Amino acid sequence: MTIEVEISEGLHRLKVSGELNIYTAVEFKQQLLEQLARAPRVEIDLSQVSEIDTAGFQVLYLARREASRDDKPLRLAAASRAVKDVIQAYHMAAYFEHSTKKENA
Amino acid sequence: MSIDQIRETFVLEARELLQSMDECLLRMEKAPADKETVDALFRSVHTIKGSGGMLEFDPIVDFAHVVESLLGMIRDGRVPITKDLIALLLSCGDHLGVLVDTVAERGADPDPDVLTRGQAFIERLNVYATAVSDQPVSMQVPKVRNENWHISLRFGRDVLRHGMDPLSVSRYLQTLGEIVSVTSLFDAMPNADQVDAESCYLGLELDFKSDADKQTISEAFEFVRDQCQVRILSPHSRVSDYVDLINALPEDKNRLGELLVESGALTAEELQEGLHIQRCPAGVRFNDCVYKRDGFCDGKQCLSDPTVRRRFAFAGGDVKSRPAPDHVPASEDERREIVNSAPEKQKRGGEQRRQERNFIRIPADKLDLLINLVGELVIASASTALRARQAGNSELVESASLVTRLVDEIRGNSLQLRMVPIGDTFSRFKRVVHDLSRELNKDIEIVVSGADTELDKTVVERISDPLMHLVRNAIDHGIEPADRRVALGKSATGTLKLNAFHDSGIIIIEVSDDGAGLNRETILAHAVERGLVDPEQTLSEDDIYKLIFEPGFSTAEYITSLSGRGVGMDVVRKSVEALRGTIEIETRQGAGTTIRIRLPLTLAIIEGFLMAVGNTSYVVPLDMVVECVELDETHISRGRNYIDLRGEVLPFLRLRDQFQDRSAVARRENIVVVQYAGHKAGLVVDKLMGEFQTVIRPLGKIFDNLPGISGTTILGSGEVALILDVPSLVQHVSKMESLSVRH
Amino acid sequence: MSAVARTKQAVGNVAVQQSQYLTFVLGGETFAIAVVGIKEIVPYINLTAVPMMPNFIRGVINLRGSVVPVVDLAARFGQGTSTMTKRTCIVIIEVGINDEKQDIGMMVDAVSAVLDVASDQIEPAPAFGARIRTDFISGMAKVGGKFVIILNIDYVLSVEEMTLVAGVRRESVSGVS
Repeated sequence: MTIEVEISEGLHRLKVSGELNIYTAVEFKQQLLEQLARAPRVEIDLSQVSEIDTAGFQVLYLARREASRDDKPLRLAAASRAVKDVIQAYHMAAYFEHSTKKENA
Repeated sequence: MSIDQIRETFVLEARELLQSMDECLLRMEKAPADKETVDALFRSVHTIKGSGGMLEFDPIVDFAHVVESLLGMIRDGRVPITKDLIALLLSCGDHLGVLVDTVAERGADPDPDVLTRGQAFIERLNVYATAVSDQPVSMQVPKVRNENWHISLRFGRDVLRHGMDPLSVSRYLQTLGEIVSVTSLFDAMPNADQVDAESCYLGLELDFKSDADKQTISEAFEFVRDQCQVRILSPHSRVSDYVDLINALPEDKNRLGELLVESGALTAEELQEGLHIQRCPAGVRFNDCVYKRDGFCDGKQCLSDPTVRRRFAFAGGDVKSRPAPDHVPASEDERREIVNSAPEKQKRGGEQRRQERNFIRIPADKLDLLINLVGELVIASASTALRARQAGNSELVESASLVTRLVDEIRGNSLQLRMVPIGDTFSRFKRVVHDLSRELNKDIEIVVSGADTELDKTVVERISDPLMHLVRNAIDHGIEPADRRVALGKSATGTLKLNAFHDSGIIIIEVSDDGAGLNRETILAHAVERGLVDPEQTLSEDDIYKLIFEPGFSTAEYITSLSGRGVGMDVVRKSVEALRGTIEIETRQGAGTTIRIRLPLTLAIIEGFLMAVGNTSYVVPLDMVVECVELDETHISRGRNYIDLRGEVLPFLRLRDQFQDRSAVARRENIVVVQYAGHKAGLVVDKLMGEFQTVIRPLGKIFDNLPGISGTTILGSGEVALILDVPSLVQHVSKMESLSVRH
Repeated sequence: MSAVARTKQAVGNVAVQQSQYLTFVLGGETFAIAVVGIKEIVPYINLTAVPMMPNFIRGVINLRGSVVPVVDLAARFGQGTSTMTKRTCIVIIEVGINDEKQDIGMMVDAVSAVLDVASDQIEPAPAFGARIRTDFISGMAKVGGKFVIILNIDYVLSVEEMTLVAGVRRESVSGVS
């Protein structure tokens, strides 16, 4: 699992690649939240994620929740098949789409 | 847990709950105002209904629901508690028991006549319900239209760490049907810095369309069941099941309600209905509620209605302060408290239940196996100790004696595991006393003491029926009808006392009544009539009373239909003796009777006294042995079998003659003086070997009914010793003697 | 059901069936019993007599912690109690009593061998002439040109019957004395 960061005009593009699973979840959480803290606006590119499980998905959820709590724009720019499948299985597409709507949970 | 195990657990729990329902009702009769009793009662029935619902035992749930609704009214003080109502509720409990037996245990549908009986009970319950609310208790909680399964999952924190992924659950479900909707809940996820990325915080609410049965669906969660909360509602579940679900889940109730409506599991109306039924103080269905505003009723409106209030007041527990119709009975706050108190109590009930659950349920046979093994261990360690002594190796002797001491402790502890208080058995009799005294129109109070006294589970189980018989006898024949009691100058209320206590290694159970007592003359006349005694024979008072234990004593005249039931006092005595116990009577004509049963605490291991005749070893229970004296032939009158023991006549029997042992008579013989049930007797033996921890082994079937010997035990040397049954031995000898005297 | 019948039923059409039998000597005569049901054979050990029992119940032994009753086969056949020799053995057999199983020891003068006997080598029991109860005999096997009595162990060691005999005997004793 790696995260590449590309910054342009205050937008942090986080390009995640590799496996997002129980083995990488701890690292993924740490890195993602660090990046999130630095960025005023975030776009996450998940097109290079080869594998994702519930642990990996939870970290994505967490990032999304934290961004909402801070009123920070965050959106998923692209997603690989694996990511799309998980988001669909958990019926969470809507949650990730509304990038600016404040989380109400 | 497999479905079968769940079912088994349900049956066990339901029986316990019904037992506690009985106890609560009986307590309520004495103290109707006790809130805790009423709460406990409500809780019992509510739990049966709830777990029955999970297992889809519809007949149980439907009936329990009606009972629960009425109990709710009682709890809220709207239906007054009367003796008749308690009797009805007791019968309802019995009916629930029948349903549990049929539906849950045997998996069968109830017979039509059972259903008819149930219907009759419901109608009688409704008489009480309609008296206060004009609304019969709804027969059935409405069911939802939703034709999908609803599955609610809360995964345990460690699921992911254990290599299980909730995704595989939903993938598997897709092989069984179609997942119609999914709602993921991460409410359990803490603040970011506290999130452990390897923990699972997920909850899922799934609506699932499938033709599979519940077992198949629930098997999908088998591998995560231990670590997850799984709740499955069938298609068309009851509205109240959904409300129960909402209440059981950790998330915010309103949010869950909305969520269920959003996912299509429930319609908004159904949700409203469910909530209303739980909340409405009048138990009115939502559609019939005239106080709802904007499709909502919080139950408070009903209370401010004068009609509802009047009914409420009328049925209020406190009759003295029954208010005038238009007087507002309580302040707004007080009313709110009434409405809110129910869920609060349930919460407390939950905590209590968790505490009660701090036990491990173990199948009795596993325990028996353990006790048997401990028995083997006792024998083996005795044998090791013996060998060590024979070998003369002092270190070996020392370590063997350490083992013996530890084994002894294990023995004590493991026997303790089988010990149960006799209180549960006593409680069952309360119900019997209640029912019988109603039936016979006698006023009887039952007083229980020593309910905590513990004894072996097997002993408890096997003494229960004989005790029941004694209790029935006391109520039926002992205690007089109230008018007769008054005429005799006694209190109108008769008292039945059950008492248990420990006394030097045995337990004593007493059943006493303050009734008429036994009539000497009548008993004697009966016995003569039955040919049990010679008319000329002179019998002591004690001997006469003992006649009622003789087989063939019971007469139709004496035993009425009630206590008859095929068991006479002789059977009671036999059961007691089979447990190596004794039974005795103390009675005073006109003042009452006490039947006293002495039982060993356990059947598996006893402290014994070891002795030998020729090559055979015998054991008697140590607590029977009074003393040992050397047999001095010069003190015996020729041909007579008694000695003068410090001025007392002590009859004795020679085990050698009795057991036709052909070994040569020893040079010196000893008398072991034994005492049982107030009698003393001497046993003449060759050798005295002292105390011996005796693990009882049953004699095989071949030796059934062998008088004088109750079992065997294995000695340290590996030899088998015979355990003497002193009462039956003496009885056998005296029977043979009286036969030979007559000839 | 005897062991022989059981094996026959199991194989159905097969005409000839081999079964194993233990032969032993009792009062100079050779008998056989089906091996099925035999748990073990132990040398004669000191037994504890149980009083007030018929003479064919010699007593009980301690078989590794279980107390097992021992039947004197000679006495059971009404041929007087056996005398103990160095070769005296106790054959431990598991018998069923209703649903329960119980081990019973059978005292014999000496055990001989385990033999395979074909079913066509077994003749029905003679109506009389064997000097023991015919219901005790399940068949006659031809072994080495001689007939050997195969015992029907279910009858010989019938717990119901032995218990009954013991009871009757006790009654009569108490009546006489």
